[in-house]
Amino acid sequence: MSRGISRRDLAAVLGAAVAAGRADGSAARAEVSRRLGVVATARLRHPGRPDDDHAAAAAAAAATTTTTQPGEPDRATLADALRRALASATGASSGGASSAGASTVGSGLGRLFGPGDVVGIKVSCLAGRRLSPRVELVEALIEQLVACGVRGERIIVFERTSRELESAGYTVRRSGGPYLCYGIDNDFERQPTTSGEIGSCYARLIGETCTALISFGVVKDHDLAGVSAGLKNWYGVIHNPNKYHDNGCDPYVADVVRHPLISSRLRLTVLDGILAQYHGGPAFRADAGFRLDTVAASLDPVAADAWAWKVLDAERARYGLPSLEQAGRPPRFLATAERYGLGIGDPARIQEVRA
Amino acid sequence: MSGSRSREPGRADGGMSRRQLAALAAGGAVCALAPAWARAADRPRPGDLIDSAELPAREASWYAKLDERRVECQLCPQGCTVADAERGTCGARENRKGTYYTLVHSLACSVNVDPVEKKPFFHVMPGRLALSYATAGCNVECKFCQNWEISQFRPEQVTARYLPPEAVVQLARQSGAPLTAATYSEPVISWEYVRDVASAARSAGLHPTVVSNGYIKPEPLREVLPSLAAVKVDLKSFRDEFYRTQVRGALKPVLETLELIRSSAAWLEIVVLLIPTLNDSEAEVRDLCTWVKANLGRQVPVHFTRFHPTYRLTNLPPTPVATLERAWKIGKAEGLEFVYVGNVPGHPGESTTCPACGAVLIRRLGFRVLANRLAKGACPDCGRKIPGYWGEQ
Repeated sequence: MSRGISRRDLAAVLGAAVAAGRADGSAARAEVSRRLGVVATARLRHPGRPDDDHAAAAAAAAATTTTTQPGEPDRATLADALRRALASATGASSGGASSAGASTVGSGLGRLFGPGDVVGIKVSCLAGRRLSPRVELVEALIEQLVACGVRGERIIVFERTSRELESAGYTVRRSGGPYLCYGIDNDFERQPTTSGEIGSCYARLIGETCTALISFGVVKDHDLAGVSAGLKNWYGVIHNPNKYHDNGCDPYVADVVRHPLISSRLRLTVLDGILAQYHGGPAFRADAGFRLDTVAASLDPVAADAWAWKVLDAERARYGLPSLEQAGRPPRFLATAERYGLGIGDPARIQEVRA
Repeated sequence: MSGSRSREPGRADGGMSRRQLAALAAGGAVCALAPAWARAADRPRPGDLIDSAELPAREASWYAKLDERRVECQLCPQGCTVADAERGTCGARENRKGTYYTLVHSLACSVNVDPVEKKPFFHVMPGRLALSYATAGCNVECKFCQNWEISQFRPEQVTARYLPPEAVVQLARQSGAPLTAATYSEPVISWEYVRDVASAARSAGLHPTVVSNGYIKPEPLREVLPSLAAVKVDLKSFRDEFYRTQVRGALKPVLETLELIRSSAAWLEIVVLLIPTLNDSEAEVRDLCTWVKANLGRQVPVHFTRFHPTYRLTNLPPTPVATLERAWKIGKAEGLEFVYVGNVPGHPGESTTCPACGAVLIRRLGFRVLANRLAKGACPDCGRKIPGYWGEQ
């Protein structure tokens, strides 16, 4: 049952967003609230192939399962899709002028990030090179951030461990280069803090270094949580994620993100949906991967996951699998996250904008 | 690496010096005890610090393979179903492509030589030493955990040394400790290691013990119990609600563990940490004592110990001594013969008295034994046999 976004929804998210955002405040907050429930998706524009819709794309890709196939998208194609997704997610492509001017190529990121920020990009690399955010996509995002005036040495791509980053194809460096990239590597706060049901030591990188955060996830099934995309990605910044996998990770995923260390800094979620996985996650399984050829972006972290849920269920249906709900593992944490005011968690109420 | 701060609780390492552990790595007698593969160039040697990125993994002993590379852990009542590349609640067991591994076998993050009274065991070889060791991780999450800096972290998050069972035995001998104790964190999560240490210790004439939360399934417990001299179980409350909200566990499996241990040859002692307002009501203490007497017998020692604020429970005060004394009296009134007060050095409730004639048999101050009048496990005044695992008197 679909319904519009109510004033109550808006008020809830505005409440969570009040503390959010960049040092100069109001612009980022206004953007987040204005784009509540909006998920922008951009399909790859393959040379010689019409820009068809998702269903057609999925059908065309049905026979393909892994990234090793011929026709792996090149850097320019990925960057183009990312830019379109960002522009649509931020509203820049629907008439809104970018505050950072033409140098942002219309991504609209200038509304969210500025030169004073230290931007942490949390990538989800547990599944290894074949099902992690592509380096090319992340670097395309970094180019957009740099175009907004964020210097490269103030952009940190990170994951739980440096080893996981390397396994996913990233080059670890703590200084030099066009951006920084390293693992948390057990550098946690000395004392745990409580957020709802969880009690965890958060990565010091989050609280002591970054002023702004981006979740860069993938679109995949999770054996317990149902969906692992942008929200569950934040399990990687606490020391004890293993304690919080019962009850479908609910309310724990929402509790981790609700913590002010994250909720006050999180401004953008990007999902690498070039290759997605409809079953058997969180590890990579070649027989359950499918080419979605899509990059998704949203200022609403909950809506991004709700979109992923829809996508996974649609693909599961194509293969005759029960929906995640029928399989007993709907991502219940989305409703909890919405109740917390973190975003819109009902897939029927999100707005997908195709860029 | 900038800023990395691995966990290494000082209190647990206070006794066993790094020099002693380093001596293992440097060679010495233990190397001769190590299996051939352990001396190979690409294998850690006993005493070596372990690189957190290179945790040695061994296939777990208690699990079932499920479909789609999932596994079901059958070690503890959490009963985790674990997908490929994921870990169980304990954080110390990992599914790698459908095979379940323990990541903590022979990986000691704390090693110390303690008086056995520190465990606490009051009826096990009084005044003797226990080579005490721990691995990282735990299968529950007590909000009041005293050793959370190792129990609530993953193996790769704490500093650890490679310490195979033979090295544990060797260290115990070098330290003059007739006992070994798996303690500090939760031995259940390293149960294969505990099993192998116990076996090696028994073979060497030592006395292996375990200090546990008792949150374990019957089968793995049955397999290891015959090797153990004694087990101390933390009965954290007599209310399931407390277990669910403060421990992330359940009461019933712990009670079943207590009964199983009691039915074995291993000596059993129980510790109850009394936390103000949470588990210290007269009714709960009375229910607990009644159950112990009815199901385990009046001769099982019960220690009521003092809580100090820590970890996630810092908003409560230390347990008043009066609360402990009330529990002490309730236990005696309910017919338990050996009730103790813990974490209150100098309190008369630290000492062992004869339930028949009232004579003080073992006088203690904190972890020290000031006097031991037991004669061949009996009261020298009235001859009453005092139950326990006394070893050579």
